[in-house]
Amino acid sequence: MLMTLIRRELLDNLMTFRFAAAVFITLLLVVAATAVLIKDYERRLVDYNTSVETHQQNVRKRQTYSPAIVRVYVDRPPNPLSLFNVGLDNRLGNEINVSPWHVPSLWDAQMNSSDNSFLNIFSSIDIVFIFEVVLSLLALIFAYDALAGEYEGGTLRLVLTHPVQRGYILLAKYISAMLCLLMPLLMSLLLALILLTTSTSIYLTTDDFLRVGGIILASVAYLSVFYFIGLLISAVTRRTSTALMLSIFVWGFLVLVYPNVVLATTAPQDTSAERGASAFGQIKQIWEEFDRERKHFLATDPVPGEDPMFDIDSPDGWGAGDGFSENRLTLSYYYWSVLYYNGKLTEESLPRVPHAQNYYGFLWRQIIDTADQTWLIRRQTLEDIFVKPALIDRILLKLSPVGMYDAATQAWTGTDLKGLQDFFDAVRQYQRTVIAYLYDREAFKSRLWFASDETVVDWDTLPQFSFERSSIGTNTKRALPDLLLLLTINVVLFTIIFLIFIKSEV
Amino acid sequence: MNFLSPRLSDLQLITYNQQQKMIWHIAKRELYDNLNSLRFALATVLLLALMLTNAVVYLREHPARTQAYHNAAADAVKALEARSTSLYRLATEGPGGLHKIPSPLRFCAEGDEVFLPKHADGRNYIRDIANLTAVWRMGYPQETPSLHNIRPDFTTLDWAFIVSYVLSFVAILFTFDTISGELERGTLRLTLANSVPRHTVLIGKFLGAFISVNMPFAIAVLMNLLLISTSDAVQLNAGAWGRLGILYAIVILYASLFIALGLLISAAVRESGVSLVVLLLIWVSFVVFMPNTLASIGSRISVPIAYVEFWNQRIRLSDEARAAYQDKYGGSQTKPPVHVLGEYVSKEAEEHERYNEAYLKEQIMQGKRARAITRISPAAIVQRLFESFAGTGFERHLQFIENVQRYAREYREFVVDTDRADPASLHVVGIREGMSQKPVSPEAIPKFKDTLSLNRDFNTAATDLLLLVLFLVVLMSGAYLAFIRLEI
Repeated sequence: MLMTLIRRELLDNLMTFRFAAAVFITLLLVVAATAVLIKDYERRLVDYNTSVETHQQNVRKRQTYSPAIVRVYVDRPPNPLSLFNVGLDNRLGNEINVSPWHVPSLWDAQMNSSDNSFLNIFSSIDIVFIFEVVLSLLALIFAYDALAGEYEGGTLRLVLTHPVQRGYILLAKYISAMLCLLMPLLMSLLLALILLTTSTSIYLTTDDFLRVGGIILASVAYLSVFYFIGLLISAVTRRTSTALMLSIFVWGFLVLVYPNVVLATTAPQDTSAERGASAFGQIKQIWEEFDRERKHFLATDPVPGEDPMFDIDSPDGWGAGDGFSENRLTLSYYYWSVLYYNGKLTEESLPRVPHAQNYYGFLWRQIIDTADQTWLIRRQTLEDIFVKPALIDRILLKLSPVGMYDAATQAWTGTDLKGLQDFFDAVRQYQRTVIAYLYDREAFKSRLWFASDETVVDWDTLPQFSFERSSIGTNTKRALPDLLLLLTINVVLFTIIFLIFIKSEV
Repeated sequence: MNFLSPRLSDLQLITYNQQQKMIWHIAKRELYDNLNSLRFALATVLLLALMLTNAVVYLREHPARTQAYHNAAADAVKALEARSTSLYRLATEGPGGLHKIPSPLRFCAEGDEVFLPKHADGRNYIRDIANLTAVWRMGYPQETPSLHNIRPDFTTLDWAFIVSYVLSFVAILFTFDTISGELERGTLRLTLANSVPRHTVLIGKFLGAFISVNMPFAIAVLMNLLLISTSDAVQLNAGAWGRLGILYAIVILYASLFIALGLLISAAVRESGVSLVVLLLIWVSFVVFMPNTLASIGSRISVPIAYVEFWNQRIRLSDEARAAYQDKYGGSQTKPPVHVLGEYVSKEAEEHERYNEAYLKEQIMQGKRARAITRISPAAIVQRLFESFAGTGFERHLQFIENVQRYAREYREFVVDTDRADPASLHVVGIREGMSQKPVSPEAIPKFKDTLSLNRDFNTAATDLLLLVLFLVVLMSGAYLAFIRLEI
């Protein structure tokens, strides 16, 4: 019996013009968007590769430590799954300095790509966004006359004269509609994957295919919510024209209006200025304390009245500089120092070399400790100013199924905030490794820190940065809350519709 | 008159006056139908909510924005006047920061103001060249607020969004069944059984839909403007009101366009359900997807180098200039003659500035290409028109850059002319020994004034306006033909 009902519904849905048109548009949009996104990804990958190359060369061509560790940069690779949901992937910085003088964070990253501020107004359209807009509309269009149409046409009465349970009718309608919705979903994903294989630079792993499976799961749950919304409206209004109008307005509200209204009204206020200023003051104070100790060290140094260059001399060229660097917006404040001599040192400066070694050994230990100290304050403040409001925004967005769907798919692709934070955690880890490596080699207090007259640095042993996207297990864990939320809404809506339908008079 | 069996002579008897009456009759009927409907209520609520949010958000943000501009501009003028102690300082240190005045009509179109630079810099921000002080040059810094922005993406709720997305959506919902619905119910046959020419019916229906779409929008706009104009945080002058009037005219054009589209599809498809689906799909593709996807295709035609890359190249360029100078004169003990030095510093600044401007030009070209290709979509056209007339966004920024460049010329001429007036000077601008050291009256220094000209806005908007009209004419005639040939 159920099969008969499903077959009837399926034929009803499939043989319509609206279905054909919607499938056509979905495929067209997905293909166009994928082509654009692949080109975009390839460009970012090229940028990434050249950038990695340059950064490595910048370090390797130095003969001493000091000018090299200033130039240790890490690049963030583009995420191939950003095609599905771009999230924060091409918005946040992708190039970050990991010098020991400050703990690198998301806010210190720079953008290394063709960033033209005249193009920012155009948002990039990804595959999930197309599903979000077009397929949810299709779901409502399938649903609005599913019950109301049968009430009006009197066919429901006819069906119910047979010994059919009412639940079966609902179930049949649901299953057939979902099958119809799956068709454009899977077809367009398949087309997108085919397009992906034509590109030589995109390589998807088995895990990535599992993640795409996760996206499909989230999409089904999302579309099912919209189908139920449509069905509910259809059951309540009992008139196709009213149901249609109401459904479309609900769609416009949930998909188009609500997310934008919420984000526009919660736009961050400038109240963060005070909090930021006090934290910045604290950080500055700690560094000033550091500076006093540094000056004290220099004053008590047995070589009287010398500046940090210790009057060491090299006829072959040298470079030096030190000072504080600050950025109020990102609460970044630190002391930097560079010193190097190329080639031979003059005979008379040789006695001063041990003093310089002693000083830099002391200085860098201080710098690293102070950087760690200030990071605790900075991290807390940055969380308060930037992260917390963004999390509240995301929670508010989840009052619409669109927000849940977006969050779930971003969790699968790893382009959500947590996925990006993973990268910066790895960067911080890498910085610790580099510092440990330098300590291990006693680089700070070695002659090689600034002078290359005896030996040169062997860069082959320097640890390399590598970043693995979070495992599929982590992705699942992050996607699960939103997925479960979507499923709960599904169950609740189904129960309500079922109750209304059971009790309704035909 | 016997309407049931009209003879030719009777048809001719329908005078112009009667035709007009008929049009109004049909329009009124449509209007009454719509006013009582659910969609009218929903549309009114939706538009009203959006417009009120728009006003509230704007009133919350605008005063701080204006304050920031005034502070920055006042600081810049103060710094400039502090340099008036000698003409030489003015000639080397330059005019300083030049700030873009925020438009009071930003609630109409946000443009991408957040992402656009708010100032340009005329300073000597490079190190001294050997023993010479560098001369100022214009630089165009970039804004990258998105680097720290971890909030979810969203579209700003400006008028441009409300009109291009929501109003067109409402227009479609009001018109999808005007003809197909009557066909299905059979009332169209009844109407046409009377001796009413078809175009009269069409015009009547168009007018009815037009008024019912515009009514909720007009109410919402009035509430929005009421809120904004009664608040003392913002003063809209006569010019601003004029621009608002132009914007409303654009809204009328755009709404008519979608009503015509609705009538066309409604007549061509004959079935309301299908006609709505077709209309929604057209709407989704043209309004939601096309502007963005086409722009990213268009922007890829030629891609300028990355800003970081540009920055590095510029440093390399000035390093080279410094090295060249060092090679030539660095070794000798005696300084070269003043005019050689003067030529050197001014050439360095000139080349640097030319390089900055060439890069800016490339970026602008990329932006222009991306925008040009989106013109296929009326929604993108309306977005552009709103930006042009609200004085925000890309075109506005180009105007700002033009103003900056004009001012830079004026400033240079002022320095040269003042120097020429001093008989003690050797007239070598940019070198301490070569030019006048006399103080300059602070009032005499030209100050930067960022202006907006409505004339220019019309020029840039003319193509878009014409395109919009063209779209409307095509769709209107399409609707007319479809309705004339409709079999009932």
